[in-house]
Amino acid sequence: MLRFLATRLARAALTIAMVVTFAFVVLRLSGDPAQIIMGADAPPEAVEAFRTAWGLDEPIWVQYLSYFWAILQGDLGRSMRDGRDAIVLVTERIPATLALTLPALAIKICLGIPAGIYAALHRNSLADRVVMIIAVAGFTVPSFVLGLLLVLVFAVQLGWLPSGGQESWRHGILPVITLGLGGAAVLARFTRSAMLEVLGQPYIRTASAKGVPWRAVVTGHALPNAAIPTVTIIGFMVGTLIAGAVVVESVFSWPGVGRLLVVAVANRDLAVVQCILLLVAITMVCANLIVDLLYGLLDPRLRAAPRKAA
Amino acid sequence: MKAGSALLEAEGLVRRYAMRRGLLGRAVEVRAVDGVSLKLERGRTLGLVGESGCGKSTTGRLVLGMETPDAGRVSFDGAIMPQPGSVAWRAMRARMQMVFQDPLGALDRRLPIATQVGEPLDIHGIGARAERAARVETLLRAVGLRPDQGARYPHELSGGQRQRAVLARALATDPALLVCDEPISALDVSIQAQVMNLLVDLQEQFGTAMLFVSHDLRAVRQVSHRVAVMYLGRIVEEGEPDGVLHEPAHPYSRALVSAIPHPGRAGQRIVLQGDPPNPADRPSGCAFHPRCPVATNLCARETPALKARPDGRLVACHVAHGEVSAGQGHTRQEAA
Amino acid sequence: MPEAPLVIIAPTAPAKTRRKAPSALVVFGIGWLMLMLIVALLADILAPYAYTALDLRNRLSPPILLGGNWLHPLGTDELGRDVLSRLIYSIRTSLLIAFGATIIGAAVGTSLGFLAAHFRGFIEQAVLALVDFSASLPFLILALAVLAFFGNSLLLLVCLLGLHAWERYARIARGLALAAGTQGYAAAVRGLGASPWRIYGRHVLPNIASTLIVSMTLAFPEVILLESGLSFLGLGVQPPETSLGSMVGYGREYLTRAPWILLAPASTIVLTTLSVSLIGDWLRDKLDPTLR
Repeated sequence: MLRFLATRLARAALTIAMVVTFAFVVLRLSGDPAQIIMGADAPPEAVEAFRTAWGLDEPIWVQYLSYFWAILQGDLGRSMRDGRDAIVLVTERIPATLALTLPALAIKICLGIPAGIYAALHRNSLADRVVMIIAVAGFTVPSFVLGLLLVLVFAVQLGWLPSGGQESWRHGILPVITLGLGGAAVLARFTRSAMLEVLGQPYIRTASAKGVPWRAVVTGHALPNAAIPTVTIIGFMVGTLIAGAVVVESVFSWPGVGRLLVVAVANRDLAVVQCILLLVAITMVCANLIVDLLYGLLDPRLRAAPRKAA
Repeated sequence: MKAGSALLEAEGLVRRYAMRRGLLGRAVEVRAVDGVSLKLERGRTLGLVGESGCGKSTTGRLVLGMETPDAGRVSFDGAIMPQPGSVAWRAMRARMQMVFQDPLGALDRRLPIATQVGEPLDIHGIGARAERAARVETLLRAVGLRPDQGARYPHELSGGQRQRAVLARALATDPALLVCDEPISALDVSIQAQVMNLLVDLQEQFGTAMLFVSHDLRAVRQVSHRVAVMYLGRIVEEGEPDGVLHEPAHPYSRALVSAIPHPGRAGQRIVLQGDPPNPADRPSGCAFHPRCPVATNLCARETPALKARPDGRLVACHVAHGEVSAGQGHTRQEAA
Repeated sequence: MPEAPLVIIAPTAPAKTRRKAPSALVVFGIGWLMLMLIVALLADILAPYAYTALDLRNRLSPPILLGGNWLHPLGTDELGRDVLSRLIYSIRTSLLIAFGATIIGAAVGTSLGFLAAHFRGFIEQAVLALVDFSASLPFLILALAVLAFFGNSLLLLVCLLGLHAWERYARIARGLALAAGTQGYAAAVRGLGASPWRIYGRHVLPNIASTLIVSMTLAFPEVILLESGLSFLGLGVQPPETSLGSMVGYGREYLTRAPWILLAPASTIVLTTLSVSLIGDWLRDKLDPTLR
């Protein structure tokens, strides 16, 4: 188990190192950051001073090492626009985003998984059809369309809820529903197919053939086995808690990390973009780690023989 | 045909695989092939027999150069085998071909048979385009297929017909060596004999040397000029097929021969005791000693060499060479 | 639930036989997709106006169904631009991007998968590390980061979206090539002396084509959604060019006064992604039931 943990951790570190390298390479490939920030008609002395200030006049590998070193020390640079620490700018937005994504995650799990299981157990019934149609719709309706439709109905036509902003909890209802419904649809579809696959396995037939009550077959054999693939997708959803609301936050003018990212991208505020990228990568990697450990608990086979390294 | 000069010579072939067992398991070295030497003359057939996992198929791939041995060398027509995948190696494929156990798997199910039979000609640029079609037709006839069956797809043919198509493809470049890896074991019993006869006929017609790999001693005897018996990566006995079949010298060969069902002979079958061979956990000394009915203490200590008996038979057994008198079998060691 | 086991015991057979003929929904999907393709190809002929043409006398004119006039069947926007014409050109842009990106993704992913399967060793590990890397980041975030660093152009957008889902093709291509290469037809052809080009181009690729095509059909709607999402955020297709997503983004400003500006492209997005998904699911069941 220790070795399992160690390889997992090493892989996680490798992925994060790759994200850092990716950010660095893309940043340097994209042109002269000084010129971009200062504008094409900035006086050369000013551009030069900017370069020195940001260490852009060093050889590329020195820049890379110092970049890596700085990140290891938690220094993620400053916003090139207002000079504040990027990490501070980002972290102060995290609570707002979590206020949307956590309730949405709860909706996804509480709605999606039971719907998927129910649909699988009553395959081809009316309920199954309805769940599947909603699930397909949830996948094909982009979140900004769903969000705007909800605004059109509940804010514009009915006037029940505010259309945007973050003044009260009521402002959060529409964005949470938008996020939750889309994710619930994905999860329902996924749970259903995982469940159907498990129910088609010979051991289920064996169990029900030898007289185990159907309820016990489902809870004792089918659910634990179907949980394995489902946990993966939930892990992915947990990984997107920080930045999974980019579009929805923009629709509802919600001042979270996603909105910050969109503004930073539009302004090419590279330090902030990098910081969010790294943060997302770390969250994702941690979520994946937890999923891997959960796998071990859910599937004894994987404890003995984990997926091949890399 | 320059009969007598060796076409293929392999010396001391060793092939190891690293196998990891379990999560914490260290990589275990598995010697699939452990010092095999063999010699094949033009137009002759060498049969290679042994149970599954004894390394006979790996030996077949090694002599074809599909894999590189970890030790030892293979020379074909006096030249050392080039690196797999290199241009020289690819060009050499025209002279040595393989026939597979599973003909359906060995054929591309998206191309008609004639295209696949003619593919070696395309690859090696043999003949003009128009001649190739005629050549394909000749080949199909030679293996007993009708030319119109060339337009069929693999799944539209029977198992025996597919194996004939694979044979036709292998013979397209008129190779000097054919390695047949269990060519009949996936076929119906009624078809097996036909394919065996076809192999013998084709050898007469084309003068191809064959390495015939099989677990079936009788099938091997039918086509071979010599047979070699393999156990756990080594050749334990080699000689004329009739000699080996009628008077096996190695205890393992004896067990193999006695396993052949014989009408009218209510013979005593030698049922092997002990664990089936596991190449990852090779016994000390003679690898066969834990299952051998006549093993002695010497057998557990010292690996017997493959040596010629006075009658020319090659055997690797202390008892058969009379170095020690037959024992009562070795008490089985606890598995590590 | 005493009746439930009976339902379960014959799990897939009846559904499969029924799926042989395309259902009404699939027929609708194919029809809609054909319509979209025709619109995209004939945009110049079909569009009544240029997509930038202003009609200042008919600003925010509603569509016919809401009492507008035949001059602008789907109404106009705040600058008096014809929504129908803009929709037609947007369909062309969005489909062009989605097709281009899907093809790039499939080509890149399949090539890398083949490279990994052919060379094994270090190259394979490198490809697998890249697969892990792209699977571990939400693609939207990655795309936003690249757009922040590189600025914006249509070509970059297509290439960027082309990287979406490449790792799926890479996984599939590597897995199937390995399976074919160890004992199957690919090993046999290699034994004939064929060059890697011949092995992969003439044998492996045609054999795995149906699986790849199904994956492409499943990835296509995702690419449309990504492009429209980015364009909606104002970070994808840039004005004066227009795409379905950027139309929605623009129409959002007029949600209360002129919802038709937004509804026309929004429903087009939904119907198109729905159609391709339906076709993809149907193709998957028909051609390659092993894919999830």
